[in-house]
This record gives sequence, C-alpha cells and structure tokens, in this order.
Amino acid sequence: MEKEATNQICMSKFYLSMAICCLFCSIVSAQNRTITGIVSDGKNGQTLIGVSILVKGTNQGTSTDLNGKFSLSVPGQNPILVVNYVGYVKQEITIAAQSQLNIRLTPDETALSEVVVIGYGTVKKRDLTGSVVSVKGEDIAKVPSSNPLESIQGKVPGVDITRSSGSASSGVNINIRGTRSISAGNGPLIIVDGVQYSSLQDLNPNDIASMDILKDASSTAIYGSRGANGVILITTKKGVNGQATVSLNSYYGISKVSRYPTVMNGPQYIEQRRQAYRTTGNWNSPADDAAIFNSAEYGAVTNQQFLDYQDLLFQDGRQQDYQLGVRAGTEKTKVYFSLDYLDEKGVLALDKSNRYSARLNLDQTIGKVFTTGMQAQFTHYEQSNRRDPLNQANKIAPLGTIFDANGNFIVYPLAGTFVNPLADEQPDVYANETIINRTLLSAYMEFKPFKGLVARSNLGVNLNADRAGSYADRFSIDRNGSVPKATYSASNGHLINIENFVTYNKEIKDHSFTITGINSLLYNRTDNIAASGENQLLKSQLFYGLGNTQNQAVTTAYSMNNLVSFAGRLNYAYKGKYLLTATGRTDGSSKLAEGNKWAFFPSAALAWRVSDENFLKDNRVISDLKVKFSYGVAGSDNISPYSTQSSLSRIAFAYDDAAAPAYAYAPRIGNVDLTWEKTKTSDIGLEMGFFKNRITATVDYYDSKTYDLLLNRSLPPTDGVTSVIQNVARTANKGLEIFISSKNINSGDFQWTTNLSFSRNKEKIVELAGGSQADVLNSWFVGSPIQSFYDYEKIGIWQTADVTEAAKYGQKPGDIRVSDLNNDGKIDATNDRKIIGTNRPKWSGGLENTFTYKAWDLNVYVFARIGQTIYADFLRRYDPQGINNSSTIINYWTPENPTNEYPRPNKNVSLASTLYSSTLGYADGSFVRLRNITLGYTVPKLILEKSFIKSVRVYATARNPFTYTKSSLLKEYDPERGGSEGAPMTKLYTFGLNASF
Amino acid sequence: MKHYIYKVLLILGGLAVLSSCKKALEENNPSGITAESVYTTPAGFETLVSAAYSYQRWWYGKEEGYSISEMGTDLWASGAGDVTTDLTNYINLQGTNGSLTTEWQQFYAAINLCNAGINRIGGAGLAANVRPVREAELKFLRAFYYWHIVETWGGVHFTLNETQGVITTANKTPAETFNKQIIDDLLFAVANLPVTTADYGRATKPAAQAFLARMYLTQKKNAEARDMALAVINGGYGFTLLPAYADLWKMSNLKNKEVVYAVNYSTNLSQNDLIDPILNPLGHSRGSNNGHLHFAMKYDDQPAMIRDIANGRPFDRYMPTRFLLDLYSDNDSRYEGSFQTVWYANSTIRPAGMKIGDTAIFATKNVFAPAGKLYKIFDRNAVYNANGTVKDQLHYVSLNKFSDPTRTSANEAQSARDVFVIRFAELYLIAAEAEFNLGNPGAAATYLNVIRTRAAKTGKVAEMQLTSAQVTLDLILDERAREFAGEQIRWFDLKRSGKLVERVKAYNPNAATIQDFNLVRPIPRTQIDAVSNKDEFKQNPGYQ
Repeated sequence: MEKEATNQICMSKFYLSMAICCLFCSIVSAQNRTITGIVSDGKNGQTLIGVSILVKGTNQGTSTDLNGKFSLSVPGQNPILVVNYVGYVKQEITIAAQSQLNIRLTPDETALSEVVVIGYGTVKKRDLTGSVVSVKGEDIAKVPSSNPLESIQGKVPGVDITRSSGSASSGVNINIRGTRSISAGNGPLIIVDGVQYSSLQDLNPNDIASMDILKDASSTAIYGSRGANGVILITTKKGVNGQATVSLNSYYGISKVSRYPTVMNGPQYIEQRRQAYRTTGNWNSPADDAAIFNSAEYGAVTNQQFLDYQDLLFQDGRQQDYQLGVRAGTEKTKVYFSLDYLDEKGVLALDKSNRYSARLNLDQTIGKVFTTGMQAQFTHYEQSNRRDPLNQANKIAPLGTIFDANGNFIVYPLAGTFVNPLADEQPDVYANETIINRTLLSAYMEFKPFKGLVARSNLGVNLNADRAGSYADRFSIDRNGSVPKATYSASNGHLINIENFVTYNKEIKDHSFTITGINSLLYNRTDNIAASGENQLLKSQLFYGLGNTQNQAVTTAYSMNNLVSFAGRLNYAYKGKYLLTATGRTDGSSKLAEGNKWAFFPSAALAWRVSDENFLKDNRVISDLKVKFSYGVAGSDNISPYSTQSSLSRIAFAYDDAAAPAYAYAPRIGNVDLTWEKTKTSDIGLEMGFFKNRITATVDYYDSKTYDLLLNRSLPPTDGVTSVIQNVARTANKGLEIFISSKNINSGDFQWTTNLSFSRNKEKIVELAGGSQADVLNSWFVGSPIQSFYDYEKIGIWQTADVTEAAKYGQKPGDIRVSDLNNDGKIDATNDRKIIGTNRPKWSGGLENTFTYKAWDLNVYVFARIGQTIYADFLRRYDPQGINNSSTIINYWTPENPTNEYPRPNKNVSLASTLYSSTLGYADGSFVRLRNITLGYTVPKLILEKSFIKSVRVYATARNPFTYTKSSLLKEYDPERGGSEGAPMTKLYTFGLNASF
Repeated sequence: MKHYIYKVLLILGGLAVLSSCKKALEENNPSGITAESVYTTPAGFETLVSAAYSYQRWWYGKEEGYSISEMGTDLWASGAGDVTTDLTNYINLQGTNGSLTTEWQQFYAAINLCNAGINRIGGAGLAANVRPVREAELKFLRAFYYWHIVETWGGVHFTLNETQGVITTANKTPAETFNKQIIDDLLFAVANLPVTTADYGRATKPAAQAFLARMYLTQKKNAEARDMALAVINGGYGFTLLPAYADLWKMSNLKNKEVVYAVNYSTNLSQNDLIDPILNPLGHSRGSNNGHLHFAMKYDDQPAMIRDIANGRPFDRYMPTRFLLDLYSDNDSRYEGSFQTVWYANSTIRPAGMKIGDTAIFATKNVFAPAGKLYKIFDRNAVYNANGTVKDQLHYVSLNKFSDPTRTSANEAQSARDVFVIRFAELYLIAAEAEFNLGNPGAAATYLNVIRTRAAKTGKVAEMQLTSAQVTLDLILDERAREFAGEQIRWFDLKRSGKLVERVKAYNPNAATIQDFNLVRPIPRTQIDAVSNKDEFKQNPGYQ
C-alpha cells in the first residue's frame, strides 16, 4: 500500500504541475463570428454525422450533429476550416464573408486516410509501418454474440479464435500468430480505452467504436513485455456534438445443440452386450439374455423400456440482448451512455448467464488546453453452471425408466453404478452459482499546451469482485453417494494502471517527427477466500448455510504483482514516403528474480510507400503499394507470481481421529534466477491497392523465435519435488497472412464486396530443457508444435485371416492392430509410437460476402480451420464389456462384420485394459463452416422522414447453421469443441433490430 | 520559454516515479509459507513429522500400492476391471506405468522430507525429551520408505540430504548402501522410540523392532532376524494373536492386539488424503482406504442382486488365482476369514421362488454343478480353465478382508479402515523363516504351528499341525500366502526368498511371461526423461 501511496503522490504532483501550467496559458481571442453549415456525402448527398470541423491553426472546432449540421465560432479574417471525416478526403475551406456553408465531402475510396489506433496514439493507415488490423465497431456488431471476439473469428488473418465451449458463460480461446510459450500464457494483451482488461466478454459489441489488433513486434513493442502475444486495442464509442441520438439494438435467438454425437439406443446397446458375452462363449442366443443382464436390466430388456438420456437433457437454449445507447454532446462536453442486458440460457437446464452492464463515456474540454474524461463500465453477472451430466448420460445403459411405479425419481437407474444423469435437475440436489461484479474505470487528463505537444495521464482501475457457491447433495452426480458438500468462495481483485505519456509532433519541411514518451505503472492485487463444509443440516440452504455443516474448511490467499515501465517511440517520415518507427521499452516485473527484473525491448520498422513515387503515380492498375519491414524483441513474464519462491503445502492428516496439521514441500520449487522470456520477430509486409483500391490486399510474412522460454520444467522426482519454472527451451513460429478485400460490384442499387482472409502458421519446439529431444510425458518434441499427439499408429483391426501374424504380437483377430514402426516384431512404447498430429491448424481462413440491394443486405460468412487433429472423447466412448453405453458411430468388429474401425466387444476386457485403445480417439479435425448468415432490411429514409425515428434495420441471423468436416468420424460432432464431450456447441438463430432515434 | 518549463516539470515528475520503482518490484507474499518460517519452531516441526507419515497413505490401501505389492505374484490374476495388466500379467511393463510413476514420486518426496527433518531438527527448538523421539520417527520412516524403493527398483537414487535448489541429476547407489542405512536408521529408532504412543499411527519401539526383524530377514541376517522377532514376541508389549482370524477384519476391531504397526485412516474422512482444493491440494484422487473396491467381483449384474453397502462397490480389479484358493485346506478358517463366496438376494426383482436373504450367488473353488438351483453358481470350472488360466474375469471367489459395511453409501470409495502393515502373526513367520534358513526346521515348525493353531477351525487344531520334516521354504511361502493374502507384502516375500519368477511361472499361468529382469520394476519415464546425466542414470535392464 505504501508503494501505491508514493506513486499516487507522484501523480498528484504531476497533475498539480499541469494545473499550474494551465495558468500560463492564455489565448487571446480576436473578434469572433459564427458560421453554420451542413456537411453531406458528395456522391449520394446523405448528410454526415460527427464530421470534425476545425479552424486551422487553433484548437477550436466542432463536429456535425445528427442532421449533418454544425455551428462554429471562427476568429479573425479568412479563417481556414479543416473538414475531416473517416472514409472521406480531407477538405480545407477558406471562408471569406459567407456565414452559411454547404460542404460536400468526397468519399475516399482509398480508405488510407482511416485512422488506426496504435498503442498510445493513432496513425493514418497510409503511414502505418507495422502489422495492424483494424476492425470497425459496426463489423463487430454485425454478428450477434456475447463476446466481441467471436464476431471477428476468421476475419483477421493470424488470429486464431475458437469458442472454448458451448456453455452459457463460456469464453473464447485466442492465439495471435501461434503459440510461443509452453508454460507461460499465450493470450494477447487486451486494452480497453487504454486500460488492461482481459474480460472482453463484458463488452457489448455495440459499445465498440473500433478494435485494432497489433501483431508484429514493432507495433506491440510499445507495450514491451505485455505485448509479446499481440495486443488487441479496443476503443469504445464517444459522444458527439449535437442533438442526442438514441440507439436501440436488440436481438432474440434460439440456440440448439450443434452436431452432438449420439450414443447407442436400447436395441444397439443390447446387441453390444450380447456380442461382448458371445466373444467369451457366454451368450449364444437371446435365450441367454437372463444370464448376461442383471435383474433390473433384464426387466427393461424384456419390456422394451428404452431411454434416450441426451433427449431428456437437451433443451432449446436462448440468447437475447437489449442495448440502449445514447450519444450526445456539446462543443465542450461529449457523452456516450449505454445500458445492456444479455440473457443466455444454455442447452442444458441449470446453465444460465445474465449480464447487466452500463457504460458512461464522458469527455470534457476545460479551457483551451485541457481535456479530461472518463470511461466507466460496470458489469454484473449472475450465472448458474451445470455440472456436466453428459459423461454420465453417454455411458449409462439406455434402458429402464426415469420414475418408478410410484412416480418417484430413480436415483440409480437399473440398480446400477451411475447416478441418474438427470439427478442434478431434481429440487435442491445441485446448485453452482456465480456472481461477478466488474468495474472498469479509465480517467484521463489531456493537456495540449502548444501545437504539436500532447501530454496525457491515464488512471485505469479495474475492480473485480466475484463469488461462487456450490452445493451438491449426496445423490448428485458430483457426490455419487458421498456426504453432501457445500462450497463458497469469493475473491476481490483490483488492477490499477497509471500511465503518463507525452507526444510531440513536428514537421520541418519534408521531415515529420512524432516522439512519444511513456511511463506506466501496473499494480495487480487479488485476495480470496474459499470455504467448504459437509453434511449440512438442511439441503435447502444450498451454499448459504456453511455454518450448519460439519468438517468446515477455509482458506484465504493473497497475490500481487507489479510492472513498472518506461518507453519511447520515434515515428519519422520523409516526404510521407519513407517511414520509420523506432521503439524502446524497459520493463521491470515484480514476478522475476532479484537482479533479473528489468529488461529492455527494442524494435524498429521501416516502410516505403512505393505508390507515392513518381514512377507509380497515376498508374492505372496499382493505386497503392507499400512495403514494410519490422524487427523487434518482445518479452513475457506471463507466469504466476511467486514463481521465484519455494513454499510449503498443506496435507490433511490425523493420528487416529485427532487432526494433526501437516506441511510438506510443494511439488514446484522456486527459481531464484528467473528472468524474461523473449521473442524476436521479423515481419515483411506488403499493402496493395488495385483499380483505385477496389481491390486491396495485405500480405505479411513473419518469423519469430522465442528463447529463454518460461518452462514448467519437470525435475527428476528423486529431488523430492517435481518441477520448477525455468528459462529453458526455445520455440519458433513462421507464418503467412493474407487479406484481400474486393468491391466486386459497386453500381448504384447493388453492391457486392468480398473479403478473404488466410493465415498459415508453422509452430515448432526448437529446443527443450537439458538438450533433450523429447519430453514424452508432456508430449513435447523438438521439431513439432507444442501440443502434439504422440501415440501408436492404428492401422486397423486384426482380421480372421491374420490369426497367425496377430499371434506373433500376442494378439488375436478382433484386436486393435498398430504399426510396428521399427519392424522388430514387437510393439513397444519407445520404438513404436510417433507423432500422430497436432491441435494447431495448418491454415485457417474466412470468406465473407456482403450483398446490398436497395434496402436489403445479405452477409454470408464462411470459416475454415484445416489440418488440425483432434482427440475426441466420443470416439473413445466405447465399452467393449458392453456394460457402459457406447457412441453410435462405433462400428465394432465381429466375425460377421470384419471392420477395421473398432475392436471386438469382450466382456472380460475394459477399454482401459484394451491394448492400444488410446489410438481410437484421433480424427482429422478439419472443418469448414457457415459461421454466419445475416439478412437485413433497412427501412428507407423516406418512410421514416416524418417520424422521430432516424433509422431502423431489422435482420435475421443464423450462426453455425452448416458445418462440413473432412473426417466422416466427425459427422455427428462439432469440431470447434476440440474433442470434449461436455458443454456442446450450439447453433443460434436470431432475429434482431437496430434502431436509432 | 514556456515549453522548457513544461519539459522540466515532466522530467521531474518522471524522476519521482522512477524513485519509487524499486520498492514496487518487491514481492509480498503474506499467504505463502516457507520451510524457513515453519520448520524452525517446535509446533512447525511437528507438522513436518506428521507430513512425513502422510506419504505412507500413497501406498497402503491404494490401488497403486496393491498393484505393485500384490500383483504379478502367484496369488492374483486380473479381474475384468484391471487397469494395470502390465503389473498383473507382465504385458508390456514399462516406465510409463502410472502406479510406479506415482509411488516413485511420492516416496522420494517423503525421503526428501525425512532428510530435511533429520538435518534440521537441531534448529527446531524441540524440548529435550521430544527431539530424540521425533528424530527416531523420521529415521524409522526413512528406512521404511527406502525399503520400498530398493526392493521395488533396486539400487537407484540414494541421498541423506535435503534437495537444495534445482538438481537435474540422480545417482545409482548399490542396494547394499540402502540396506546398511535402513539398519542404521532402525537401530536408532529402536533405541529412541517409546514403547507406546498416545498418537495412534506413530511409530513405536516394537514397531521399529518388528520392521527391523523384517529387514534382517530380507538381508539374510537370519539370527538377527529371529532375535529381533523374538524381542517383539517376548517383549511384554501386550500383543497377541486374536482367537479368530476372521475377527481381524471387523471394522469394529481395527485397533486390535495383533496390530504392531498400521497406517491409520481417520473415521473423519476429511482428515484423510482425498484431494480437496482447500483441505488437501496435493491429495490422492480416491482417498482413504480403497481396498474394499478392488477385490470385489461383479455381483450386481446377477439376478436378485443390486449393489448395496454390505457387498460393496465392485471394481473387479483383482481375482485370486486358482492356486491361491487351493492353498487352503478344509480345516483352515482363513479361507472363510478371507473370502466371500455367498451373496444373498437383496433385490426386489428376483427369480420366482427366491426370497430376500436367500442365496443368490455361490462362488466356489470346488467343482459344483448341481442342476435346478435357483441361485447362480460360479464353480471351479466356470471360473478357471483346466490349465489354471482365467475363464470368467467377472465372477469369482472374492477377497473381502477389506470390505467396509460402515461406509455411508454403496458407492462411497473411501473407507476408514486402517491398513495393518505389520501384524503380530508376521513375527512368528519371520522367526520361522529365519530358523529354517539357519537349519532349524524344528524351531521353524514350532513357530508355524502357532499361526496354524490359531488358523485351525474348531476341533481341527491337530490336523493343522506341521512336523519339522514338512517345513520347506515353499511351505513357509504358502503359509504366508494363506495368512497375508492381499496385505501388500506378497511381492516382497517372493523376492526375498528368490522364488518370484519360479512361483509365478508355476502357479499363475496368466502371468507366465515373467522374466528374471522383472525382479526389479521399471524406473518411471518421468525420472529417466528429467535427469541430465542420462549416461549414468539409466533404465533398469529389460525395460524402456
């Protein structure tokens, strides 16, 4: 706390000095006069909202209101107005005597004047030296989704996004340009309005003005260590000068399970059991059924009582969102305000998430040189989480009934082993509820004392309070007959980010300089409590009555880490054609060892705007061409705090029944030499535009090498401990990214644009700890991607004709046949396993087509992820003993069915003791899916002209309606789920409305 | 001019921030605890000693421990639920075996903690009367763990020092060094441990003596083994053989007079070792004693039977070899005292004519195939093939020494049953084996007959007596099988007597692929992969 106080004093000194400076600032105004005007699109005549109008050489300015009108007080004689709007050519207008202006802006087909947000500043797209992709808010809001990242899946080359599961509160997995770290985190840094904020699911896509993804080392270098895995910058909407606009965005959707593998039905199950007993000679005909089914099962078999548990568990999910936004402002004050409610109901009962959020963005100009403002967001979640019942549902025999003759729920169907998959849905049996409150506050003060200099201080506060409570009754799936248990945990976290930066911009003849200096302090604190108790008095108390339990246990923990940084950046341009960016950042991290806390991360980028050279000017084909090269070093300290320290861990123990506290060494020891993980990346890029930029393309090739990897290194267990985080090992990633955008047809009523994105990344481990070539336990192999599958290679099933050959390997017809890789006549773990595949795709891409015809718009978006292997649970959902149920897709061997897919059922052999059964789970996970299809209708302006409504668009969307998988094994499975059987993925059909008033 | 003022102010501001950096980068960890802060106080040191005991729970009463200490011997075959057929049947046994990997890691964690305690005890501030006792307990435990290590893996890594910092090498130390240290540590323990303890589960002097007797026998020091066994038998400690063998296994009788040393499980399961994020973050995934799960046959797939607490939750992992069942004569109460052969109808759905409580299943080692019985019969020929291999891996005579009808539900995996590590009966069998090895079969017969007298059914004592001429090493091993079947000692007995390979080949046809190199187990891959001195620290011969 003391440290923070010191810094806060520093901060207050800083602000005080700025306030004093302000006193010196006095700009004398001459005789002013007011001019008014209207700004419209030079092509279609539509009025433009939010166009910036500035008096050249001053800070005086305004922007147009909802009707495209503005009013501005201008000084002196013949002032020049600079009229600027994203997507249009900038205009300068010299005003003589007129007081009424009618300004028509020419659309800028080149789009190069678009502003791209880079760290601690913005730059015009044409001047960009690094690899940055900018996505507009409206494109993000196009796909209704609970997480803005879902909306850009496949649209940004180099960014691999998959949804982590189908449950209501699930997030996304995101990787930019492959994975570098093995043990340390690989997630990108996410900055919302200047403040680190990893909880992107809190944001409503409609609140986002733009999302900028920084990929290469030069662009991310300004974030130093935090930027090693890429940076996503999100800017939320701001208020605009003029009459208030109210917008209403809403959708309602129904979600359904998307491609979930079925399990065998009653007759198929019975047949498999019979086969399992037939193999061992215990079944010859249905007359033997009584001997192979227990009494309860046999009753169900004879009465043909069959059950489909999946059908009983799955329901239609729901997703609905209501967002209300207000943009308003005066010349000095600008406000954006929004309220949002998102309700998600999963495809399983008890899987629910409600999100309530509010945002207020405020910007206030004070005097002539100060601007201050605040972006505030509050998010409240109420979630209910279902304990996965599908594992249970998929293995339980599909026989019998749910209720007995008296209408009582049967806890153990068929008097069997498994708790009924529906058990948790019974009253007071199971609850798992989470409440999350997050507040994001970002306050800034900006100071522009004279032309070219901007000084800004940001204070970002991210407060996080959540609690989770659970109760599982004795006959819940979790407890399965053990004592009922309740748990309660709560955590309190805050992240404070203080940043001061100064930018100075100067143009001297053909030379233009921008210098940025930054100081950043990041404080992260979390403490938490977790408690549990057993056997509580009343189950109706769920987790609210831990005092009434036995064996109460409680633990609290505290965690902190700090990061202190200084950075500088120089942007230099000569004639706007030759561009240079040089960045240096020094980071100090509390997580690393004494003496190794600080590191310097340099980077540089060069770009040449070839199309600005005389020989390409006015070229009919090439309208834009830029060549870029960048090189830089980024670092990572993305490990848990205290990794330098060795600690003790608690062990429950008692002598007889008298509890005795016991503490032993934790299995991971501290490393007193811990230092930065570093990645060197070079990037060559091309930006091209053809035919007046009707076709634009960007191509990037990058090569990154990561060294001093923060690896959770396995130690010899003879040490008495098992691991240490050490700077060992190296990885490398190389890749190609292509993005092509084409306006195929652009004629009056009909427009058709196509966007194509493609990424290919090759990831490999270059070196492992101690020079070893393989770490089999962790499946790490030099030369292969980090997550590789290493196993025997299944080549089929031993067939009846192979009986002699099979016997050489101690096997018999009907067993799994694997490749004897070294041909030594035996199968062993060392010589006969190989790398089967990896979960990293060979390439991924997206193809988006947008058609507009008059008031109608149609967006069709296809996403592909190709070349990854998945290890699917359901492919190993096979019980050769015929006791548990199996997936329908399982085609097992019998003498009459000589398949090469699955081994023969055998009542004496469980799957675990079936040789090489692990090989059954692999499948080519390549898929192509229709990610989104949206049909929209915008009500023509003419109809609305006389009403208070400004615009209305209605749309219908289908998300994930069709998927194609390369492997026929996956024809019933959604491969984006990555192999798991739990929390199935969903299809979502929505109907939505966007309106503004 | 103004510009300069701003710039100076900004620089000053920056410097003020810089000066506070150093403090900001210090780590504050108030919720973490370290050896330096805990093991240096008397109360803290006690937590180390308790933790040193806790690692025994990773072996005793756990599937991993049963798989390594009982499987792959002459007594057991795979049930259908067996997941470690590599250990049970020597099929592709390699360093990737999960049971061996777990135990290796936990044993060495225990050794490291014992070493830490023994070397740090001077700095713990213990009272003068407590210190030698705690040191003796730690040395007892170190000897105990090293015995498991050296017998299982042979001459592997040995150290008497606590690991400091990152060490990526391991040594190969001859078994003799282990054996010498085991004796030295136990002699210290015998000299310093009290005769009894108020904390049930701690090592005592007779426990150390009994274990030392076992160690002397293992190391072929037969006279010392006999003398140390007799020191416990005649030590006036109050141990006695229970009159009825079956009474040993009653849940109400866990702390009986035959228990010399036990691994204690608390009846409050939350004090046991099940993994729990709050209570026990490093615990075992199943927790407490699981012996009741592994040896039970699948009775609940049979007519008139549903799963209940009394009959237990059948994991169907291990079944007796036909050889084991044939070892028991009809005069021997230990057959009925060790095995369940009858299951009584407990389901509402039953074959016509069968009442609740009637026999529903009968499993027998004999040939028994009468026609027209309402109940199911699994007799000798239904379960075993003529050559002794297994025919039915689901239904068989089931070891029920470890069953626990006091569990709160049929599926509860945790049992509070203590694991008897050394029973008083073993001391007679140690003395007998030592005397036999010393050339005194008469004395051996005397000690064996003590055990056989207790084992005899009422009125059959005379029939159970042995003469000195009958005593052979194989007979002693047969007697140990009858007495200790399932009690996590068989593999060590066969190894000590040099009979492992011979007897497995002779009596366990399912595991007949055993070879001489199987006398030690494979070193886990996790160890082989992690060491940097790979040329010195190699896998045991015959394994990968």
